[in-house]
Amino acid sequence: MPRFALAIPAWAWLAIFFVAPVAMVVWFSFGYKPGIFGTHANDVLSFDRYLEALSPTFFSTFLNTLWIGLAGTALCLLIGLPVAYWMAVKAPPSRRGLLIALVLVPFWTNFLVRTIGWQVILAPEGWLSTLLQDVGLIGGPLDILYTRSAVLIGVVYNYLPLMILPLFVAFDRVGTPVREASKDLGAGRWRTFLRVTLPLARPGVIAGVLLVFIPLMGDYITATVLGGAKGNMVGQLVASQFQAAQNWALGSAMAVMLILVIMVTVAVGALVVWLVMLPIRSRNRLVLGDAPAAATGGDRASEAARESEEVLS
Amino acid sequence: MKRSWSDVALSVWGVLVFLFLFAPIIVIIISAFNSGRLLVAWDGFGFDGFAALLEKPAIQSAVWVSIQTGFIAAIVATVLGTLAGIAMARHPGKWVFWFIGLLLLVSVTPEIVDAVALLPWLVFLGQDLGIGLFNDGIVRLVVGHSLFSTAVVSYIVRARLVGLDAQLEEASADLYAKPFATFRRVTLPLAMPAVLAGFLLSFTLSLDNTIIAAFVQVSGTTPWPVYVLSALRSGLRPEIASVSTIMLVLTLVALALVALVLRRAGDSATQIARTMTGN
Amino acid sequence: MAEPRTPVRILASESAAKVIRSELSRRRFLSFAAAAGATGLLAACSPGGGTSSAPQATGGALENELSIYTWGDYDSPDVLEAFTDELGPNITLDSFGSNEELISKLVAAKGTSGYDIVVPTGVFIPQMIENGLLQELNLDLIPNIEFMDPAFLGRAWDPENAYSICKAWGTTGYVYDKTVITRPLTTWADFLDAAQNEAAGKTSVLDDPGDLTGIYFWANGIDWNTTDEADLTAAEDYLVNTLAPNLAAFDSYPGGAAIPQGTHVLMQVWNGDARIGILESPDPDRWQWVFPGSETEIWMDNWAIAAGAPNPEAAHAFINYVLEPENSLAELDYIGYHTGATGIEEAAAAAELPMLDLVFFTPEQIETMREGEVNDAQQRRVDIWNKTKAAAGA
Repeated sequence: MPRFALAIPAWAWLAIFFVAPVAMVVWFSFGYKPGIFGTHANDVLSFDRYLEALSPTFFSTFLNTLWIGLAGTALCLLIGLPVAYWMAVKAPPSRRGLLIALVLVPFWTNFLVRTIGWQVILAPEGWLSTLLQDVGLIGGPLDILYTRSAVLIGVVYNYLPLMILPLFVAFDRVGTPVREASKDLGAGRWRTFLRVTLPLARPGVIAGVLLVFIPLMGDYITATVLGGAKGNMVGQLVASQFQAAQNWALGSAMAVMLILVIMVTVAVGALVVWLVMLPIRSRNRLVLGDAPAAATGGDRASEAARESEEVLS
Repeated sequence: MKRSWSDVALSVWGVLVFLFLFAPIIVIIISAFNSGRLLVAWDGFGFDGFAALLEKPAIQSAVWVSIQTGFIAAIVATVLGTLAGIAMARHPGKWVFWFIGLLLLVSVTPEIVDAVALLPWLVFLGQDLGIGLFNDGIVRLVVGHSLFSTAVVSYIVRARLVGLDAQLEEASADLYAKPFATFRRVTLPLAMPAVLAGFLLSFTLSLDNTIIAAFVQVSGTTPWPVYVLSALRSGLRPEIASVSTIMLVLTLVALALVALVLRRAGDSATQIARTMTGN
Repeated sequence: MAEPRTPVRILASESAAKVIRSELSRRRFLSFAAAAGATGLLAACSPGGGTSSAPQATGGALENELSIYTWGDYDSPDVLEAFTDELGPNITLDSFGSNEELISKLVAAKGTSGYDIVVPTGVFIPQMIENGLLQELNLDLIPNIEFMDPAFLGRAWDPENAYSICKAWGTTGYVYDKTVITRPLTTWADFLDAAQNEAAGKTSVLDDPGDLTGIYFWANGIDWNTTDEADLTAAEDYLVNTLAPNLAAFDSYPGGAAIPQGTHVLMQVWNGDARIGILESPDPDRWQWVFPGSETEIWMDNWAIAAGAPNPEAAHAFINYVLEPENSLAELDYIGYHTGATGIEEAAAAAELPMLDLVFFTPEQIETMREGEVNDAQQRRVDIWNKTKAAAGA
């Protein structure tokens, strides 16, 4: 049996329902839009659509998108990490399943409907505005809708579960014995968290960051619903070609460009993180490796941490 | 036992984030009892929104289509993703690099591209190749919704198992357990929290999918988000909030039941997994 | 389109023809109805005669089902229910969110979509006809077309109403907050001026390339369907550099939330949406609706029948049914847009529906409304729209 035997069903499913149809759309990108009522034609092939796609608008919009993607992912991590840790480690074990479900329940209400809920809360004449004015925190009506802050509220709200769940699963697996072993070895709770728990949860952190950042970069609706014009994203350009312009050739070329640019961004980001973590990692190893009276638990922790590092680097 | 300040701070933070998650939902629950014309503009208290549900088969049908699709899509994505995630964590090799590349590609592709690609493809499979299955609306929706979810489940399951020592599985094999028994008794329980989280996330993503759904649906299978989006044209009525509220209440009741059953059964799945790992 | 249109003469002759035709057809319809049993047979035979494999409507017995693919919540549930009660066919209602979605769906399905009635916006109809997505209406089976106001029949996209009949129409104007903008605004030029002054950073426009570029063209007396590159370049320069920095949002439905919540000061909006927003505002007096000069848009959603419709008889019967004056009024009351029926203004006034000045317009006003057009400039308009969005988001 090949090593990837268990992954064959997923390979097959994605090959049939993703690779094949999307390859067809990629093929459109080498064609053109025939006349005003057609969407695509491929009898003449060229790279012209790619030249069209690489417009200044594409890059200026991409910068805005990158900003929203990075800021949104960072905020999701900052807000989600303590919650996931709390759910996985501090909350009573019998309640954990319930807590996971509760993270998701708000999202079983339709996207537009939740958005409207936020608009009601954040409206200049809404109750939050009145409350803040009565308390004296703000001088005039709340002026947050259609600002960059509103963009981030919308993004963080809608992507938070995609961060919390992988983090929860990762923290949950660290397990009490490992943490207690660390404490037995004299590490404080912060040291235990930073040196043992967090490194062991790293696959979860990476999964969470990718699950938020990557789809967010291709998204174009979430950021605009509360942020209006400030939430303009590059996915909108792609969608506008498929929809309003009905130019599937150009839309496909833009989509391919978008995917390439995002992949490059992720690769560059991974490289930067790897370089930044390099000194920290070697120091960690030194400290754990030097601990003279390492009990089995400590050994296991350091071993597991090293293992996870190797797998991910 | 005295709780340290950091524990207290963590709990406060947790509660605050849950409040943040539920804040707009509270507004929606209130709006469900709005007797006016528009969801957002409070007119008076009434049950008109709930009454409207009875008059509009289109709404009932849309909600039912979404729930069915959500369940089936989540099951498909969970099965495929769990197997793939376990394979990636337990049988690493060069193929993992390519597979993760494919999963990243699936998650990065804008939905509109999936949508315009899938529609003619499903028609081709259904009409030209004559595979009648693909003319079914629910099947089409499940296919469309399962793509991103499969990637999500794969990531989460892999993140759960990667680096978690495989000693238990090795021990099981040493004890002459058949591979399938090892898989069922050891690997799967180890992965279980990730599987459950992945299932719930897939269900959630499917329930919210609008763009792909709008393109692949067939007559009689308009899902709920597509209905809501297109109802904007004449102004969203409070009945939209009423439906959401009913769904929320049913969900919470179901959760309470599950919690009760789990407590009766003695322990949560998470605990079972922990008992096995930490002995 | 730049030269003044002469609709009166054309429309008069057309409407006369319609009346004659519908009079004839009604009598034929009655005779068909009398011979219901025989026509069932006829209907069964007819497909063989046509080039298309899909059944054509001949006035035979109604099928048991009817599938309508339309905008969400766009029809009065009472009318739908009454249709099923009176005539039999069960209605399946499906929703789309944009015309492009509808078109992609019908193109891909190649006549097997299973939808009977579709409700495209007028400007997309030529494209749909060209691609063979619609089937010709059998107007003999829709005698109630006589209740339609000729002004809303025979529009540019389907001059003979061979494929479509008006379902609802509306126009584009704007709404402003009188507590902030204290001077009276009346034209599109005023809109642009206010957007840069009192309403700077508090202005929203419709999220549509045609309506965005339209603001500039209408304000400057240029045909909004222009394909002249100089005009388009001037529009781009103005919208991207002058208007964009003042825009807060691209919102196609401010009436649903922004107006009742007072989020913006100045909002480009469709009339029916503005009406709901103002009606539901806690402080309706604060908002002023403007039907702007010198020109503005008319858009129209239309009843049409998809090519390959499995239930053409029921589809025709339904279209005929909703055109009945009583049902037309119920539809207008439900969605807040003019259905194009004759005398419906008096009926609506008699029914005491509120704020009818946002539903009905004088013939002089209707004269200033211009249809949109999907033409060679569409790609340019989309580019301008995208650039404006990029500039507004920066």
